[in-house]
Amino acid sequence: MSATQIDGATQIDSAGQIDGAGINGAGIEGAVVVAARQRRRGMPVAVICALVWLAAMLAVALAADSLRPYSITAIDLRARLQPPVGFGGSLRHLLGTDELGRDVLSRLIESVRVSVLIAFGATAIAATFGTTMGFIAAHFRGLVEQAVLVLIDFQASMPFLIVALAVLAFFGNSLPLLVALMGLYGWERYARIARGLAIAANAQGYAAAVRQIGARPLRIYLGHVLPNIASTLIVSATLSFPEIVLLESGLSFLGLGVQPPMTSLGNMVGFGREYITRAPWILLAPSVTIVLTTLCVSLLGDWLRDRLDPTLS
Amino acid sequence: MFRYLSFRLLRAVLTILLVVTFAFVVLRLSGDPALTILSPDAPPAAIAAFRHEWGLDQPIWVQYLDYFAAILHGNLGQSLRDGRPALQVVAERIPATLVLTLPALTMKVLLGIPAGIYAALHRNSMADRAVMAGAVAGFTVPSFVLGLVLVLVFAVQLGWLPSGGQDSWQATILPVVTLGLGGAGILARFTRSAMLEVLGQPYIRTASAKGVPWRAVVTSHALPNAAIPTVTVMGFMVGSLIAGAVVVESVFSWPGVGRLLVVAVANRDLAVVQVILLLVAATMVTANLAVDLVYGMLDPRMRAAGAR
Repeated sequence: MSATQIDGATQIDSAGQIDGAGINGAGIEGAVVVAARQRRRGMPVAVICALVWLAAMLAVALAADSLRPYSITAIDLRARLQPPVGFGGSLRHLLGTDELGRDVLSRLIESVRVSVLIAFGATAIAATFGTTMGFIAAHFRGLVEQAVLVLIDFQASMPFLIVALAVLAFFGNSLPLLVALMGLYGWERYARIARGLAIAANAQGYAAAVRQIGARPLRIYLGHVLPNIASTLIVSATLSFPEIVLLESGLSFLGLGVQPPMTSLGNMVGFGREYITRAPWILLAPSVTIVLTTLCVSLLGDWLRDRLDPTLS
Repeated sequence: MFRYLSFRLLRAVLTILLVVTFAFVVLRLSGDPALTILSPDAPPAAIAAFRHEWGLDQPIWVQYLDYFAAILHGNLGQSLRDGRPALQVVAERIPATLVLTLPALTMKVLLGIPAGIYAALHRNSMADRAVMAGAVAGFTVPSFVLGLVLVLVFAVQLGWLPSGGQDSWQATILPVVTLGLGGAGILARFTRSAMLEVLGQPYIRTASAKGVPWRAVVTSHALPNAAIPTVTVMGFMVGSLIAGAVVVESVFSWPGVGRLLVVAVANRDLAVVQVILLLVAATMVTANLAVDLVYGMLDPRMRAAGAR
């Protein structure tokens, strides 16, 4: 899974620490983006498709209970391993059934809900925690800042999957812990961005003005600095969201993430693997969902980055 | 340069220390291994004896210091399962993992870097679009999905290659391709952006304006400069040689370090997990140091930055 962790810019400039020399990893696509920005004014078709798919996923996640044709634990042994419609299956089970005769579509819907919930929760935690750490580093400077930087280095230098595996299996697998753990993924990117931008903001007139009036630090950072750097952080969140989906599905695939009777996308792929020869639809349905979702968020993230945020491009 | 390197070295040691501490705290405080290994129904005397034998009855900070002392003596504890030294248990698996990760790394480099350079030099061409599409697929398709689809096509449908196991060299093909394709996409994307950034620089314009042939501009001006960010990604890839195949090894039931880690974690085999964590940290840190050294060679500005 280390592959997912190396999504270029943000992760890498941490390992390299070469910002000072002006080789900021985040600045690499600069030339491309200027041209790209002139080229695309409207919203490209691909981005519209991505938005539609993501909206559908979100709707499915929110309305899972009423969309599911069957209960996800409803076992029907007489209808085991039925293929999907179009491959010899019946309309009763649109995407076929699994080894216990459970409806794949129903399980897929529930899985989307669980995976989306975890990814959203984790992204929110990572953004909040990372931004807070970044602000703390920018505010106190000195030793505090060094400590935060060491933590950032540590986080960026260890493959997250390895760390996550150790923590998860040794603390057991509860959903809150899983979300919290996923929430640690990528916090260092927000921290680095927030620290850099907050230091820059502190040197600007508006922050100084508010400070002169007598605003407390909390108010300066939350009320004035945060709104000014929010777009950068949101873009960063869009870019790390698919990685969290991939990480969670990877862990669940290994049997160390979401535990039965709950189900998630990776979980379905993991259990469906046993039936890859006889019933490939069990693992193909969630696989396609994972790929389409991560692809769509990445497309959206890239587009947002090009449009909104010159500093990250 | 010396100051720059010693600073980096200090950071590296600090990272290792943090990893050891992190591993120790998390693994020891999370539950009682005596109950897990012996089952909660075991007689209290047996549990007490087990705890005493493994030093689990000591205060946590004594265990911590003991652990550090043991590491410094090269003694990394024994696997709780079969009592063999954990280091040996892990070391036995390393060759199997390298059999997958080394060819995969070669594949990433040989495929990704030329593709990225070509795409950058022929920007907006069909080839460029294809490379970018491949690169996006490289990081949006999870490795287990890619691996299983390859199994479905080449092992189940076509029957050309085995779907797992370690019996023949053919068995390595699917896992290596699974690992290599994803990484190649990432490397291609990165190389392409690095090249485009460099090609937009004034010194490239100057070089071609003064009449240097385009081929020479690319090879002696653009490539060395674009190498710098690319080396960083490659450092990360080299660093994950040991444990970069956790998921892929599980897909193909490959008896490497990654598979061992998953099993050890499921069995709460503390010593083995800690050895793997340490090993991963050590490779990562070493790879990062190597990257820093390469920077020093590639980029004089880095030496200046370190001397500040």
